[in-house]
Amino acid sequence: MSILSLDLFLSALRLATPIALVALGETFSELSGVINVGVEGTALAGALINAIVAYHSGSPFLAVLGALAVGAFLGLVHATWAVYLRADHVVSGVAVNLLVAGIALFSTRILWGWRGTSPAAATMNPWIFVAIAFLLVGLSQVYIFRTPWGLRLRVVGEHPHAADTAGINVNRARLLYTVLNGALCGLAGAFLFNNLGRFTDGMVGGRGFIGIAAMVVGNYRPLPALAAAYFFGLVDALQMRLQTYIPSQFSIILPYLLTVVVLAGFLGRANVPKALGKPYLKEGR
Amino acid sequence: MRLARELGLILASLALAFGVGALVAQLSGLSPGAVYRELWRGAFGDQYRVFQTLTQATPIMFTSLSFLIAFRAGLFNIGAEGQMYLGAFFGAWAGFTLILPQYLHTVVALLVGALAGALWGFIPGWLRARRGTNEFVSTMMLSYVAIYFTSWLVSPRGPYHGTQWANQTVRILPSAELPRFVRGMQLHWGLVIAGLLCALFWYFLFRTPRGYELRAVGQNPRAAQYAGIDVSRAMILALTLAGALAGLGGAAEILGTHRRFIEFFSPGYGWDGIAGGLIARAHPLAVIPAAVLIGALRAGGMGMDRAGVAPSDFASVLQGIVIFFVVAPELFRIFRRIRRERRVLVHSQP
Repeated sequence: MSILSLDLFLSALRLATPIALVALGETFSELSGVINVGVEGTALAGALINAIVAYHSGSPFLAVLGALAVGAFLGLVHATWAVYLRADHVVSGVAVNLLVAGIALFSTRILWGWRGTSPAAATMNPWIFVAIAFLLVGLSQVYIFRTPWGLRLRVVGEHPHAADTAGINVNRARLLYTVLNGALCGLAGAFLFNNLGRFTDGMVGGRGFIGIAAMVVGNYRPLPALAAAYFFGLVDALQMRLQTYIPSQFSIILPYLLTVVVLAGFLGRANVPKALGKPYLKEGR
Repeated sequence: MRLARELGLILASLALAFGVGALVAQLSGLSPGAVYRELWRGAFGDQYRVFQTLTQATPIMFTSLSFLIAFRAGLFNIGAEGQMYLGAFFGAWAGFTLILPQYLHTVVALLVGALAGALWGFIPGWLRARRGTNEFVSTMMLSYVAIYFTSWLVSPRGPYHGTQWANQTVRILPSAELPRFVRGMQLHWGLVIAGLLCALFWYFLFRTPRGYELRAVGQNPRAAQYAGIDVSRAMILALTLAGALAGLGGAAEILGTHRRFIEFFSPGYGWDGIAGGLIARAHPLAVIPAAVLIGALRAGGMGMDRAGVAPSDFASVLQGIVIFFVVAPELFRIFRRIRRERRVLVHSQP
């Protein structure tokens, strides 16, 4: 079997989906000024809830709704902490990741008696997610750069005082886009579950962080971020095929190493929103 | 005064977190009373358990310091886990390869481990300073690289596959062992080293010019640059030190506890370091009680599991909740702030 085949590119397309969804979500929240590194844990929570709901209800559709809801909830939690309680954004995101990692091990043991895995449960065709991701990325590109709402979103992250003066509720906008980011991460988790057919606690395996990397490479624009996500998906797909040729550890390393190389080689970090990571204080400066 | 306030804040966060934890336990069909009783008994019930708690706390002190030193420079070292693995492997390697007199061998092996970790911190530090590469993502990614690389080194196809029955190296030489306090207990001198390092890094951060520069960069890199501080150098220094600390912790864990490198030996001490550094509110001396707290959660979690009242992973959930309440600076000041803002609003009325 040759490594390069149509099959490879198709599975790359599939594996790019969670990365693209996370990258898109992160693009929204960072444009509004909120860094969310909790995407990794949020995606894991999405996959977990998807597994739980699918197992108990047998409805894959309801399960995806559950994943979206838990993602939005974690986005809400992160936004509350980062925007209103003025916690350091990265620290709050890390807290989300640590909490979900604990919950994943705990709840699988409580529910099924297995540490970190679920039994197989009802799934839907993962290609549905691929299509949805493409659609969402296209719509978002238009939304962000061609609509008044998109302009407002960018102003909130770039110059919150100006946005405030123009009558935009800065903190509420940040809250909304962070919740959206969470929901998209939940969707990414739902894809991961439906792709594998069961939950494992290592199933996100850094793809959330790779999603952030894809956003950085995409320079806060959805379409370029999708292209970057596709590149990382290709590496991921290649990785699985290479396992027959080289020690599995080296092929596992490949996507992580390439992520660093790509980030290091990437210098166009021009579009970072000016108010990124800073709390907005009405009376301050 | 400030100390009292910080302490009060931490204790209030802990109380709140344990309250929420009780609620979670209740909702999961567990008995909160039994859970906390067994957690306490498992962590501090008798001398053996106290020693187990301290054994768990030892690597966490190293990784907490590792997170903290980068955090003080405004950087996030999320890759302590991988740096620790490299330090652990190369510490073990020095332990079974070099022939040196006792004690000297231990010191050299620890330093080799620290050096390996330092390299794994230097790379993201250099990338951050020179290329602007997000160190959060790069330390995380390089962490995976280190963990799987060391796993390959001791795998059946790797060069250091030491035993038939498991993926691990051969045993280190007795001369390289980090001595234990009591026969039959795993607790070793790594704890003392970690404690001394906490003091040393307090001195470094708050009493030396280099430490001051590092903190200045963390608080406001632009102002630091105007003040003539070499920001790039401070960033590289911070992440290199962070890597060295995690690597040293890994080497100490191998030389003291396991006496050989075992693949995937860490149950997540690198991640615990993030929690430890945050709970300590980035103060080096506060790392000691913070690490003991997390070590107690780990040891107590196992006790809970043995007693059959809850899965050990409940302790991880509890730890996650604790961090949430510790990291929101406004949480306990919010009521005061709302009152103040209302007053400002009233006064500004024409």
